[in-house]
Parts: sequence; structure tokens; C-alpha cells
Amino acid sequence: MSNINRRTLVKGSLAAAIAGTTFSRAAFADADPILLGVSGPLTGPNAQYGTQWKQGFDLALDEITAAGGINGRALAYIFEDSQSDPRQSVAIAQKFVSDPRIVLELGDFSSPASMAASPIYQRGGLVQFGFTNSHPDFTKGGDFMWSTSVSQADEQPLLARYAVKSLGLKKLAVLHLNTDWGRTSRDYFNNAAKEYGAEIVVTEGYIAEERDFRSTLVRVRDANPDGLVLISYYSDGALIARQARQVGLKQVICAASSVYSPKFLELGGDAVEDVHVGTRYFPEDPRPEVQKFIAGFKKKYNGLEPDAFNAYSYDAMNMAAAVIKIGGTDRKAIRDAFAKVKDVPSVIFGTATFDVATRRVKGAMNAELVVRKGQFALWDGKPT
Amino acid sequence: MSSWLDYTINGLIVGNVYALVAVGLALIFGVSRLINFAQGSIYLVGAYIGWVAVVQLHTPLPLTIILVAMVAALVGLIIERFGLRPLQNSVRIAPLLATIGISFVLDQLVMLTFSPNPRALPSQLPDVRFQVGGGTIGPLDLLIAGVGISSALLLFVFLRYTKLGWAVRAASQDRDAAMQMGVDVNRVNQTVFGIAAALGGVSGLLVGMYYNQIDTAMSLQATLKGVVAEVVGGAGNVPGAVVGSLLLGLVESYGVAVFGTSYRNLFAFLLLVVVLVLRPNGLFASARQAPPEPLTGTFIAPSRPVRIPRWALAVAVALFAILPLLPVSFYVLQTLINAWLLGMLALSLTLVAGTIGQVSLGHAALLAIGAYTSALLSLALNVPVGLAIVAGGLMSAALGTILISPSFRLRGHYVSIATLAIGEIVSLVILNWESVTRGPIGISGIPPLSLFGYDLIDPKAVYWFSFAVMVVLALLQARLLGSHLGRSFRAIRDDDIAARAYGLSLNRYKSLAFIFGGFAAGVSGGIAAHLYSYINHETFNTQQSILALTVVILGGLGNVVGAVVGAVALVGLPEVFRIAAEYRILIYGIVLLLLVRFRPQGLLGTI
Repeated sequence: MSNINRRTLVKGSLAAAIAGTTFSRAAFADADPILLGVSGPLTGPNAQYGTQWKQGFDLALDEITAAGGINGRALAYIFEDSQSDPRQSVAIAQKFVSDPRIVLELGDFSSPASMAASPIYQRGGLVQFGFTNSHPDFTKGGDFMWSTSVSQADEQPLLARYAVKSLGLKKLAVLHLNTDWGRTSRDYFNNAAKEYGAEIVVTEGYIAEERDFRSTLVRVRDANPDGLVLISYYSDGALIARQARQVGLKQVICAASSVYSPKFLELGGDAVEDVHVGTRYFPEDPRPEVQKFIAGFKKKYNGLEPDAFNAYSYDAMNMAAAVIKIGGTDRKAIRDAFAKVKDVPSVIFGTATFDVATRRVKGAMNAELVVRKGQFALWDGKPT
Repeated sequence: MSSWLDYTINGLIVGNVYALVAVGLALIFGVSRLINFAQGSIYLVGAYIGWVAVVQLHTPLPLTIILVAMVAALVGLIIERFGLRPLQNSVRIAPLLATIGISFVLDQLVMLTFSPNPRALPSQLPDVRFQVGGGTIGPLDLLIAGVGISSALLLFVFLRYTKLGWAVRAASQDRDAAMQMGVDVNRVNQTVFGIAAALGGVSGLLVGMYYNQIDTAMSLQATLKGVVAEVVGGAGNVPGAVVGSLLLGLVESYGVAVFGTSYRNLFAFLLLVVVLVLRPNGLFASARQAPPEPLTGTFIAPSRPVRIPRWALAVAVALFAILPLLPVSFYVLQTLINAWLLGMLALSLTLVAGTIGQVSLGHAALLAIGAYTSALLSLALNVPVGLAIVAGGLMSAALGTILISPSFRLRGHYVSIATLAIGEIVSLVILNWESVTRGPIGISGIPPLSLFGYDLIDPKAVYWFSFAVMVVLALLQARLLGSHLGRSFRAIRDDDIAARAYGLSLNRYKSLAFIFGGFAAGVSGGIAAHLYSYINHETFNTQQSILALTVVILGGLGNVVGAVVGAVALVGLPEVFRIAAEYRILIYGIVLLLLVRFRPQGLLGTI
């Protein structure tokens, strides 16, 4: 055991030295930065999403630092890897709650990991800012739970309107991830689509690890829909689109905003051509906050196009900065500041203001895109 | 009617994909009686080497395949030489744990090198489609089928008609006798691992091209489906593995056809359980074939356990009991709470796996049953939390024992595979039985822990509560092991034929072990549910089962103190390595491998 201890000690001091250099990079009057805690997956099956969070956070922090920090102090974050595992996220929660330097917590990614930690944040009086937590019960965990995740009650009717009203689809097949997010989304979508006068001819839920959809698509074909709706992430969305074309389905495909990623185009190839996507922003969006985000992201990451998860984390960091500007570094004052911030510029919402009753933000922006020549483009109203 | 043709074709296509992994697994199992959990990781390595070749080096397809096969074979040889050969004279369970550790390390290395983002792996074959039934198939489907079938045929010929092939078969039937006849068993093992790894790598490449997508999470799924297919066909039987894969593909496809997509894996695992119960040696085992598992229990070899004096244990318990009174952070307490909860699960598993020899790979299902029972009772019927947790334990004991009972007639690895399948079935039933479990939405707002009307919210109180429960369970189990019952359990583990001859009813004793073990695991799950306030079907997953087994093997099979020490170590190490950020799971895997290498009988030894 003593061996291991010595080894970790060496590593510890090394890491501390590295951390020290990153903090001292920005020359601020007050040497200590204001610290945020992030609990999210950096390893394990959801690791890709944690990496995307980091990209968005870092871009936002660069801009915040360039603008002089927060009241003369730098902003920084500690990212603790939870693997999206509730056992680890509760330990991280205790760690953050008992670390007086942490003023606000962001994450976790999955519902089981996030909501298992909620009681600890609530009792410890540290805001848990779950910016991707769409589970309807997340903010019911207590008044320290806040979320900028687009409510599916908001998003899905927009997608339903695109599919039914704009594209004129009347018989829909809905394929959804069988997770809390996918199920909630499906229910909102189906209700809205029915209200717009469409019929849901078949719904199929699939687990996240699924890769083969050919048999599912035969079921879809036999139900004879005139459009497919994908409530998917980009990797499974691309798989379904490819296999749909392979089994000979030629119907219009409509997908939720979570597929909005350059990876969707890369993984889907020709098969995602003409796929319709309802999104919250798009590359040619004239809104200044979107242009700033996309230009900054491409510059920082060698021309890489940002995707939906990058946008969520970028927005979340900006929101955190705005809240701390009002609330200072007192944890309770920060919670109260969430109710006070008004019209924070946001890629997803245009301007974001919390609804104090639900502790969520309403009124996501909407853009109707379609994939044309391997690129996301604003839909021109022409049928495909 | 035409739809059925399409379902059949689709089933065969996906079965094709499974076959590539299953053949490699079958080959290794045939020779070393080892389920190689690292096979999925080699598949992953193959996919990423293929990506480098195709996207960066622009190699033509034949060259890509040769390159991938060579690199993967090299990885296989390294695994065999440094991961497994040093363990060949130790307990049979140690190599199994080593392959789990190797798969951690390989997966993490790939993730750190290539980032976890999924990548496109474009197919290098011409994009022509042939109309078959209502759908189409492409050249890649034919290539995958060709590779699967021809490799199975080649292997069959190799094993039957070449000298080295005879050596492989001789070594697989009786290693010691083969050695006495002058067979170089190490060379045989090397050959087999090289071939199996090359196959695994190529299958990763082809499957990646097939879906135009590779990511670092694909390895565990590949292993799971490969194991199912292999066992259905008859473990160690190479042509059987191909047929088993196709059958698995068909059953899944028809399952989707009749019941819908969310039931798909349920059918895969039900098929496995049915085959195991009806034909434990697989569909294609001939009656003459020697049973693939030894008749007596060399699976778990006894060793000399480390004797810990009673006073030292008492001091340790006292120290941990007063720990919250010392200035330690809540983070440390919370980590230890996790360790105590895992410790209860490990106590349960060390009893069924270590003491009576039923190595379970689906133990997380017992947690889930206990957690859901306790959560639903306290929410829907307002049962006091303390009582609900006990009810969760009882439910887990009852339901767990009933579910596991069909596998009582199985031995060795087959028990592990059957329990793995039963664990998956429980998780899928939770996902699909929405009227009770609320499906993927999960159960939220579960009331916090409380005892006699007092809420246990303070981390110190939760710590004392979980620690006390674990200590009580551990004491009970230690008492049990020292009794007549404990000796009967061990007799069944060490030699079930002798035990039966002596008049012990195997099924009854196995049931007793599962009842006791199920209770401990159910209580652990129940406490976890009230601690987290929210659970869904993902809270207690396969990784938990594998972690529990790792704890048990690390601590020493059947060893009560070992289970607790192992739990503290395996909860603590990843937390200690937190400072290493992305590298921590890699370090954890390496530490695990070193422990297996130098203490294959576990830290405290098998009892």
C-alpha cells in the first residue's frame, strides 16, 4: 500500500503544479479564481459528451477572461469524472459541497447520475445547474436545482409542427431512444403531432447500445407511414438513416435537434441527405450571439463545427458567469441570483430568463433545417 | 408474408456480424477454457487500426485487412504472453479476471489515443446494392459472411488435419497429458490467441465499415453478444459458433417482428437461458464429447487464507465506527458509504461464488430487485423505509433464487454466462414493465433513509447506518461459514459428486446460499435507492456485476473480510486516482492486472 501512496503523492503534486500554471495564466488582481465544479463523464460509455462539454466551457471561459473576468476575478472550473455513474456522482457531490471554493455546480450528464446527487446538493446548499437534464422531475429535486435544458414540452411541438404543418406529413413512424429523455420527448411529440392532425402509425423504442435497426425498419415499412421521426442522438440517428435507405425506405426523415452535429453528416454520409432537422440555431443564423459562438469555436478548434452539446455547455458557462456577476460568491446568493438574471444572451434561447416556478428556461429558438449537399441548410420550403 | 422473408434476411445479416466475434471467442474457449472478455477490446483495436489505415494511410482494402490482422494478432500475442501465461498455474478464475483488466486497459488506451467521439469508417467496397426481398444487401454483407464462414471452415480444417491443430485439440482435452506427449502447450496457446485476435481485429474493421461508425463504447456489447452466440452454439465449438450467431440473429429479428424493438435483447438472453437449461453443452455438442468443464471443482482452488487475528478486526471495526467523529470530510464518508454498499453486494457474491462455487455475473440484478421493491413499497404504500428495505432484501432473496434456479445444474463458466443472461433479462424487464417500474422514466422522489421515524440525512448517520448493516451481515455470514452449513457449501464447491454421494442435496444448498446472498444484495440495493432518491433501469447495470465479481476475486473467494477489503479498495482506488483525470481508469486497470498477477488467490486468500 505504501508504494501506491507514494506514487499518488508524486502524481498529486505534479497535477497541482500543472493546475497552478493554468490558473496563473490570466493576470487578475485577485489571484484565486472563482471556482465552479463540473460533474460529468470523461471516461466510460458517455465520455464523448463530457469532452464536448469541455470544448464549450473552454470557449466561453476564454471570452469571459478576455472581457476582464467577473468583477476582476478569473472564472475556472474543476471537472470531476463521474462516468455518469450515480455511485461516483454522489461522492463528487459531497466533495464539491464540502469544498468552500466551489460556488456552483454544473452537471451531471445522465438522469440517474444527476438526480442521485440532487439531495446532497440541495441539503448542502450548493446550486446544481443541470444544463442537459431534461428529465421532468430534475428541478423538482429542490430549489437549488436549476436547468437550461430545453424542455421537451417546448421542443417537441416545434418538431411536430415542422413535420406535420410545414412538410405536410400525415402518417408518422416515431423511433426513439428508450431513455427517460427519449420517452418524455416521444410523448410530447406524439401529442403535439396528433393535435396538428397527424396519425402516429407506429412507435419503436430502442436502447442506446443498439446498432442494427433493419428489423425495426421492416416494422416501420409495414405500418406504411409517409414520414419517419427520429428522437435520437447523432450516432444512432445516422445509423437509422443509413439502414432505412438500405432496406429501401424512401420516406421523408425528420429528426430532433440532438442529431444536429457535424458528426451526423460524417457518420450518415449520403443517407442523411434531405433529412429534416428542427434545431435551436444554425450556421448562417444572423443572431450576433450565434455568429460569435460559431466563429469563436471554429477559431479555437481548428475549423471544427460546433454541435448541440457544445452549444449547451457554452451557454451554461455564460449563464453561470451572468449569475455569479449578480450573486457574487455566496452560494445562497447565487441561488437567489438565478431568479434575478434577465435576458442573458444565449445561442439556444436567444435571450434566457428563468421561469422561477419551474426553475427552467422557456422559449427556445427554432430553425427548420435540412441536409443539402452534405451540409445543414435552412429549409427553403421546397418538398424533398 | 414477404415481411417474414425480410425479417429472416435481416436476422441472418446481423447474425453474420455476431459470428465474427463468436468464432474468436469459441477458439480461445476451446483451448484454454477461458471466456476472453478482452476479445471485444481487440475488436475495438482492430476497428481503430482500420480507421488509421483507411482514413490516414489510404490503404486499399486487402492491405487494410492484412494490416489490421497483423496488429491485432500482435496485441493478442502480447496479451497471451504477459497477461495470461504467468497465470497458467494459478486458480482458473484468475485469467478470467485478467481478461477483464486487460479489456479496461485496452479500451482506455484507445479512448485516450483517439478521443471518445465516434468516427466514420468508410467502406472501401463499391457501393452497389442487390435487391433481396423488400430490402437490399451490399458487398460488405457478402464479405462479412465470407470471412465468417471461411474462417470457421479454415479453423475446422486446421484443427482436424494439421499437426499444430491436433496439438491444439490435445491441449484443450487434457493439458497435462498433451505436455507429457511433448506438445509445446505455450506455442499452442500463442497460435490460438494470435489467430483469435487477428479474427477479432478484422471483425472490428468490417463491422465498423458496415455501420460506417466506430466508437470506444462498442467493445462490451460485442463481447456480450459474442458470448451469447458462442454458448448457444456450444462453447469451444467453432462451426457451432457460426450457427449459434445466425440463430441469435434470427431470434432477435423475429422478436422485433412480433413484440417490437424494445424487446429485442430480451429474446437474445432468453434464448441463451433456454439453450443452457435444455442443452448445457450447446446445441451442437455430441454426446461422446468430454464435458467442457471438469467434473470436480478445480475452478476455484483453495489456498491458505491470510489469518487476521480477532482483536485486529475488532480494532478495525472500532476505528471505522468512530471515523465520523474525527475531522474527515463528507466526501471521504460518502466514498466509504459507497464501499459499504458495495461490500454488502460483495458479501452476497462471495458466498454464492466463493463458498458454493456459483460464479455469478448478473449480481446487479439482485440490487435492482431490492431497490425497486423498497422504492415502490415506500412510495406507493407508504411503508416505513426501514421496513421497506428489509422487504427489498426478502424480495431479492425470493425472486433471485427462483430466477437463478434453472442454472443450478450448470457448472463452472456456464453458471457465469447463465447469470449474466438472467441479469440482463431483469434489467430489460424493468425497462419494459412500465406499469410497475415506470420504464426508462425511472422512479424519482424516493424518500430518504429513515429509521423508527427519524430521517437519516446527515452523511454521518447514513455512514453509521450502512456500516452497521454491513457489519451485521458480515458477522452473520462468518457465523454461517463456520457452521455445518458452511462446510456443506464448501464441500459442494470442491467436489459436487462426492458431496452428493455423501447425501447433500445440491439444489437445496444452492438455494439456501442464494437466499442468504440475495437478501444481502437486496438490502444494499434498497439502501442505495433511498440514498439516491432516483433510480432507473441504468442505475444497476452490467458494469456493477463485473465490479462486484472483481471485488470478490480481489478479496479472496469466499472470504468475508476479503470482500469488504476488496470493496474498499475498488471504490477507493478510482477516487484516489481522481487526480489523474482521464487516465484514472487506465491506472485502475493496470493496478488490477498487477494484483491478479501477484495475488491470483486474492488479497486475503480463498477460504
